[in-house]
Amino acid sequence: MEDAASVTRPGATAEERADRKQLSVQFKAQHALVLAFFILIFIFHALAIYLFCSGFILSRLVLTDRSQCAVPPVELQHGYVPGSHEKGCWHPKSFDKVVVILVDALRYDFTVPFRPQPGDETPHQFHNALPILYETSVQSPENAFLLPFIADPPTTTLQRLKGLTTGTLPTLLDAGSNFAGTAIDEDNLIEQLYNAGKKVVHLGDDTWHSLFPGYFEPNLTRSYDSFNVWDLHTVDNGVNEHLFPLLEPSMSERWDVIIGHYLGVDHAGHRYGPDHPAMTAKLKQMDEVFRRIIAALDDSTLLIVMGDHGMDVKGDHGGESDDEVQAALWMYSKRGIFGRSDPGYVEPPAHAKIRPVGQIDLVPTLALLLGMPIPFNNLGRPIEEAFIGKGGNDYKNLAEVSRLTSNQIHGYQAEYAKARKIDPSTTSPTVKLWHTASMEWQRARSWATYSKAWKTSYDSFTAYQTENLRICKDLWARFDLNSMSMGIIALIGTFLVIILYAQSVQGDRAALTPALLSWGVAGTITGALSGAALGSLLSFSQIQLSAFAAVMGGICATLAGFWPVRATLRVPYPTTFWGGLCTLSTLLLCVGFAANSFTIWEDEQLLFLLTTFGVVMLGSSLGQPDETDRNFGSLNAISFLAATRLSSLSRLCREEQMPNCRSTYYASATSSTSAGWQTLIPFIVALLLPTAIRYIYVRSKNYQGSAVIWIGIALRLGLVMTAVYWVLNAADDGDWYPQVSKETLSSTRIIIAQMVLAVAFAAGYGTYIWAAPLLLVRTEEAPAPTTSTSKPLDSSDPNAPVLTTINEPPKPRSKLIILGYANTQGTRYFLLPCVWILALLLVQKPMGQGALALCMISILNLLELIDANNLRRSPLGPIVLALLGSYYFFKTGHQAALATIQWDSAFIPLKTIRYPWSPILVILNTFGAHILCAIAVPAISMWKVPPKLPGLLGRVAGAVATHLLFYAAIAVATVVEAAWLRRHLMLYRVFMPRMLLAVVVLLLVEFITAVIAIGGVRWSMVSVAGVFGYPES
Amino acid sequence: MSSSTANAKPAAAAPNEKPVEILQNQASQFYANLHPVLLLSILLVSFRSLVQDPVSTLLGLAPTIAVVQAVYCVLCLPSTGQPAASPPKPGQKKKAAKPAQDLWAKAVPAFLSLVLTLTLSAPTLYIIVILFGGPLTTHQPQTLLLALHLALLTTPQLYYTHGLDTRIWLKIASLQLPIDELFGMTLGACLGSWIGAIPIPLDWDREWQKWPVTIVIGLYLGAVVGKLAGGYVFKGAKIKIS
Repeated sequence: MEDAASVTRPGATAEERADRKQLSVQFKAQHALVLAFFILIFIFHALAIYLFCSGFILSRLVLTDRSQCAVPPVELQHGYVPGSHEKGCWHPKSFDKVVVILVDALRYDFTVPFRPQPGDETPHQFHNALPILYETSVQSPENAFLLPFIADPPTTTLQRLKGLTTGTLPTLLDAGSNFAGTAIDEDNLIEQLYNAGKKVVHLGDDTWHSLFPGYFEPNLTRSYDSFNVWDLHTVDNGVNEHLFPLLEPSMSERWDVIIGHYLGVDHAGHRYGPDHPAMTAKLKQMDEVFRRIIAALDDSTLLIVMGDHGMDVKGDHGGESDDEVQAALWMYSKRGIFGRSDPGYVEPPAHAKIRPVGQIDLVPTLALLLGMPIPFNNLGRPIEEAFIGKGGNDYKNLAEVSRLTSNQIHGYQAEYAKARKIDPSTTSPTVKLWHTASMEWQRARSWATYSKAWKTSYDSFTAYQTENLRICKDLWARFDLNSMSMGIIALIGTFLVIILYAQSVQGDRAALTPALLSWGVAGTITGALSGAALGSLLSFSQIQLSAFAAVMGGICATLAGFWPVRATLRVPYPTTFWGGLCTLSTLLLCVGFAANSFTIWEDEQLLFLLTTFGVVMLGSSLGQPDETDRNFGSLNAISFLAATRLSSLSRLCREEQMPNCRSTYYASATSSTSAGWQTLIPFIVALLLPTAIRYIYVRSKNYQGSAVIWIGIALRLGLVMTAVYWVLNAADDGDWYPQVSKETLSSTRIIIAQMVLAVAFAAGYGTYIWAAPLLLVRTEEAPAPTTSTSKPLDSSDPNAPVLTTINEPPKPRSKLIILGYANTQGTRYFLLPCVWILALLLVQKPMGQGALALCMISILNLLELIDANNLRRSPLGPIVLALLGSYYFFKTGHQAALATIQWDSAFIPLKTIRYPWSPILVILNTFGAHILCAIAVPAISMWKVPPKLPGLLGRVAGAVATHLLFYAAIAVATVVEAAWLRRHLMLYRVFMPRMLLAVVVLLLVEFITAVIAIGGVRWSMVSVAGVFGYPES
Repeated sequence: MSSSTANAKPAAAAPNEKPVEILQNQASQFYANLHPVLLLSILLVSFRSLVQDPVSTLLGLAPTIAVVQAVYCVLCLPSTGQPAASPPKPGQKKKAAKPAQDLWAKAVPAFLSLVLTLTLSAPTLYIIVILFGGPLTTHQPQTLLLALHLALLTTPQLYYTHGLDTRIWLKIASLQLPIDELFGMTLGACLGSWIGAIPIPLDWDREWQKWPVTIVIGLYLGAVVGKLAGGYVFKGAKIKIS
């Protein structure tokens, strides 16, 4: 290794100066084009991701409007005065109280007698075990009815409870004000009941509490953990224990609504499957429970038993198969007010395809029966049996409730269209149906006594509601497969471009880039224009078509740009051991994302893969023939391994990792503040991190000039200030100094944070841009060679003794010694990560700072390891950096779940939300590790290379493209898997968040590598060339 | 700066860089072939109890495995310093050494190999298992026993044939040693354990997914496959790491 070199520098002639200027212009132009090429790749990806997401993430705007008791959606007929909870808000109520029993996963065929069918001759374990619902409906139709109750997928309890209380359809993202929490923030039955002063008691599954926090009677409510599917009885016995005492007459004043949620049937299904004796036993137990409730019920109380979804043959649910969506609904009242429009309907349907009702239909039905306003967002319609009257012909009542519901839906649609600025033409069929329904209503009113007119009116309202629901389902609950496939094709195409650019090009990439760029840009523009033109001809979304045509045009044209150099391309197939290992790790991760377990435990897998790389790099270093390389390489490998394992102790567990994970990121698992001891971590970082960086710089003799100022002074100072900031923050959280006002504490720490950011971005970038290469040029008096001459003492006498060595006074000669020559490029560029680390550390919580500092040390270890093993041109460095970035994302207190975004980081240097700064701060906090690693990528190619290495820019571009390759592969994999598993039970909880993370990280890393990293390379290389000159190519 | 060119090879070549040959007598050949069968059958027989109670099963198996390995070393392998067993020429008479003395001369290095395995390899492998993400605060007996079994399957044969020659061990660490039965077994065991860790996170709720059952199974299968592949398929090949 050569740390110092001596050069002699002749005075530059005018000709040389002109040459140098020309080379400088050439370099800058080439650099700008390389940067532009990466921006082009970014645009390809952005378009591809836009196409995919516009087909995949269908969002529904959550309107926060509430229905009011005193404000019916339409003026009421027959002089009914709205606004009384006693009589009924919009319509006379039928019941004062209700007992709602939710039997999780009560499939419809569990409740009706078994009828032999061809191919299914004998009853199963789940048949005929729960006869009470059927019996009562047949024996006393005015007291009870039983109907199939169809769920809207996804058939998971949480989504179902939303539907059952709000009357809306589930979508992937309910884009509301409340991103992180699970509480329902739109109008719903529970909130209406609570606001009307009704006492709501809940017993059973605790999911209700995360949806409706604080709405239940605290003294009577008992909730139970819903996740232990192995336990069939605790929840059910608990509900029984607390339910029956409430039904005693003495307790009737204490409650108005009881919600009992039994989980035993669901758990029996999950554990054993439906066709198992345990299921029979469970259903028999339920049967007995219902008989006891019926016995205890009084006249003014309605009893509802329902399932929230069904179960498939294995007893699981979540998807949209018939078995999963077909639940049962049974209503019972001792007063006897139910009817059937046809005597043949007395017997409950034989199977769930006959006369089903939707689960959202419960919402208006229950609201009107209890005299509540129908929740504002409801899309369900009143259930016929509940309103048609004992005689089965009260079509007037039915038409009235149907009219109320239709008007409520109509009002909701109008508000939604206004909020979303939807063109009314998309709902034109409903407009027509709405007019028909209004006309029919007027006609029925004028022939008030004629039952048939009321029936027609009811039918026309129903037609409107059905069509409206169909359109909403279309808009919200359907994936646009065309758009998704276009996105996937574009993503794969872009991946192809990157892999060719990164791994196939063997010559100078930077020289090839201008041609690729011009082809790519031309293709993109042509594609966009022709797509727009085609879109206006065809009846297809013009924006999507032009986006797709643009990205495909761009990709094909860029690929065509490779044609002239096709002879020098090689198949991008890993040929080396390291290339194979990198490919294997990436592939393993990609495949793993198809399984929810691997997605959930991604942090542990990354630790495993990074340790694999660490161990193999340790082995490889031990095999180096050169002793320095061997020792220093092994030392760095050990440090890399230790840092990786040490940082793995910083954990923030996601819900699905429980109970096999313990969070250490905050003071406790239920807190989001740091523990007292954790505020020490930033001080340790301030002490050790600059020292570690300094050690590396000193070792290659580059700790000179700006490096001393930045690493030795400014960075250390900034880190100490950061540490002080977090102490003040903890003091504020923990009330350590009650005598100091909160106001003082918070404004002091905000000023400190702003100062740190100023140091990082103003002073730091200033230093980076204007720093001279980190060299020390020393003039040394060279020990001149002693000139010795031999000459005889007496020249006239040939035999005279010869006197040798006459020391002539040495001629004065000086020599330039350049300290830090060997790593000029690397250390000069690495100032940039050193600048960014300060800002990135500031916005991390104390535990995250420790982790991110270890990440920085691992990056330095990696750079030294790559040098010791001479792997600068292997994909090893860029891929390990990508693994590091992904790994430390988890170690800085994040997970692939929306709930772990640390929104409070927006307030570190600011008091209020300020655009665009607040989102940028959250991004810096969330993706700090990705950003740091992305900025470090060019250092791989520049670390310890000769200052005048030709083709360096091309190598940097290759390293950056390889780095992007990792993220692009993960994005392709997660996107394809999310599309494939779009009806998977875990889509919302696991696959979609991971897919979103992958695409966001891909775009962010592309932007950062292009603008910050490749952009930053310019100053560093120009500054080095200022001393050594540009390489002649 | 390091150069990867081959000129750095020291003039005095490492003493034993050729693939190790199994001794040529009948007992050696027989036991060398029996060895993988023994390992596999031990795994098969104890599988159920391994799943039920990994700690006591692994503890109980350790002496047996140590003996199996020691016998393998003594019977089949040339010990340190012994010249690589050259195939006996057809007419050559075997040197008639006193059998007891011969056995003693081999049993001592075998015993030393086991001692080194216990004191040197097992702690090192324990640290490596922890580095890979093995549990730090819980399951210590399981992890220690896993490290012990890893050590028992990977290193005694290497200590026995190569001793503590630093140059050889550096080559082993950097995978530069030519592959033979022994090295193949070591590599296979490591790779098998690596693969064995993969099913742990799956949510299948199987008893056998518990720590460290999958790794032990991967370890034994890997060792057997590695030994056979190293002995027959890849013999003499070298892994080109850079």
